[in-house]
Amino acid sequence: MGFRYTMIGAALCIFIFYFGLLASLFFSVSPKGFWEALVHPSTLFSIRLSLIAASLATFLAIVIGLPSAYALSRYEFTGKQIIDTFLEIPMIMSPIALGASFLVFFNTPLGEAIQTRGIFFVFEFPGIILAQFATIAGLATRLMKASLDEISPRYEAVARSLGSSSWQAFYRITFPLSFRGLLASVILSWAKAVGEFGATVTLAGAMPGKTETMPIAIFTALASARIEKTIVLILILITLGLIALYGVRLTGRMIRYD
Amino acid sequence: MIRIEGLTIFLKTFQLNDFHIQIEEGEFHFLLGPTGSGKTLILESVIGLHRPKKGKIWVAEREVQHLPPEQREISYVPQDLALFPHLTVRENILYGIRAKNHPLATYSEYVDSLIQVMRIGPLLERYPVKLSGGEKKRVALLRALAPKPKLLLLDEPLTGLDPSIKFEIQQLLKTLHASFRPTVLCVSHDFEEAYLLGNKITVFIHGKVEQVGTRDDVFLRPRSKPVALFLGLKNIFRGKAICQEKESNRWRVSVNNLQFSIPHHASLGEITEGKEFDLYLRPEEVMIIRDGKPIKDSLKWNIFDGKIEDIVDRGKHHTVFFHPQNEEIPFEISIPNYAYRNLDLFVGKGVKVALRDEAFWVME
Repeated sequence: MGFRYTMIGAALCIFIFYFGLLASLFFSVSPKGFWEALVHPSTLFSIRLSLIAASLATFLAIVIGLPSAYALSRYEFTGKQIIDTFLEIPMIMSPIALGASFLVFFNTPLGEAIQTRGIFFVFEFPGIILAQFATIAGLATRLMKASLDEISPRYEAVARSLGSSSWQAFYRITFPLSFRGLLASVILSWAKAVGEFGATVTLAGAMPGKTETMPIAIFTALASARIEKTIVLILILITLGLIALYGVRLTGRMIRYD
Repeated sequence: MIRIEGLTIFLKTFQLNDFHIQIEEGEFHFLLGPTGSGKTLILESVIGLHRPKKGKIWVAEREVQHLPPEQREISYVPQDLALFPHLTVRENILYGIRAKNHPLATYSEYVDSLIQVMRIGPLLERYPVKLSGGEKKRVALLRALAPKPKLLLLDEPLTGLDPSIKFEIQQLLKTLHASFRPTVLCVSHDFEEAYLLGNKITVFIHGKVEQVGTRDDVFLRPRSKPVALFLGLKNIFRGKAICQEKESNRWRVSVNNLQFSIPHHASLGEITEGKEFDLYLRPEEVMIIRDGKPIKDSLKWNIFDGKIEDIVDRGKHHTVFFHPQNEEIPFEISIPNYAYRNLDLFVGKGVKVALRDEAFWVME
């Protein structure tokens, strides 16, 4: 039994480690200060900004990621391996390097043309979305591909032989069958976008009332020693993360067909 | 009528050259070949999932090789069935009619009769996960037939089923075919399946059509040695025509030093002097002569002495391994149980055997 207790003990240690860390947050905050920090306009702004930006970035990641995931899951084509590898770039690249690359890009003639004739990204709201999108698009595609991989292409083959076009076969058969997995992928990607810091702060800056998302607000609050605001924001981020994780768990409880 | 002409597929691992097949309306046609012979690729090309390099496919009078699967009017029942798990049995069945935007009313009588023949009525509101193996098979067949396809493709319909379900599905397929006469192309590696269900069989081995014919053509008169071997036939020997016998008009054929006298009708083609061919001796057409019993005239042509090398009980019959005297070409004899019981055979026993004229079959 020694072996069993050692293993369970290790699991308990991890739990105590994280739980202790979270519990310590309540050590340095008073209920009054907590409330004041929470309803402060700058805090509310950060929350709103984060939710909107992350949702838009996630939406864009789905728009481009879902068809890509489908292609990678179903077809053989030249360059497939390379594309698959590039999806991991944001995972192995430091977020700050990613943000810095964007700054360099917007200094090239093409980047400048986009900024002058199209949308301004550097130190602007669209920059937040771009940075978050860049961080999560690869991950979202990978996760969605994995859920599409689980659905046998034979279903679509049969649906098509029965008269469905490839689009119909997708939305009548493959999409509903993989919905659980796709939804979980979306939730995880969104949670990652909400917590994104490095790329966002590099590309969009840390301007209060403009580009200060929650993680950035934590950074600036901490830098100016506003501990209560820091803690409030951390707790909100944790809460959002837990809700997202619970959401993913819920998808697991949805109807299973197999 | 379904016609495939000159189908050519080049893949890294597989090549198919100039494949032809013709399926008449209402025919239950088997494409029979060993695993890995490219049958699935042919099937996928017919459905439209795979674009062949060359070749034409006609469904009725329409050329379909350029059309996407949904416009070909070919239904498909894969081996794993692929019933849509998120739809009820009813929704599965009606999928094809709805996908084509056909009015349900015009199909309802036909679909109802299918439901009745397949005894699916009580299952209509269930989800596939709640069905037994046999029920799933029935639903998949019904789903494929409901939109009245011009061709029904079946991929190994009886493979991997429990014996009891296998029999049920086999009977059902027979009934279905008899009642609704769909045109069926069935891909299989199981010659028993083909024997039980097919009224036309194309034997396809190593990328080549070896024989096309009725069930009896293929099983009783295999055209070539590869077909015979694929069907699991024994007693195939290399023979050579020596000469024509003057009075009887029969051919004298040698296998090693053993000489047989074979009738003309044992061959589809012309036999000429010196011609070499594969000779098949049908094990069930060889008799063991009981001691002291007079030999009929019709059996007098091919009588050999030898001894029994081995005996295997096959359940419904016995296989006796016969070794002719002074010869190294032992062959198998198949004896029904009732006859075996009267013969008092044992390993090592010396016996006399007679080959009926029906025992001989000359292959290309």
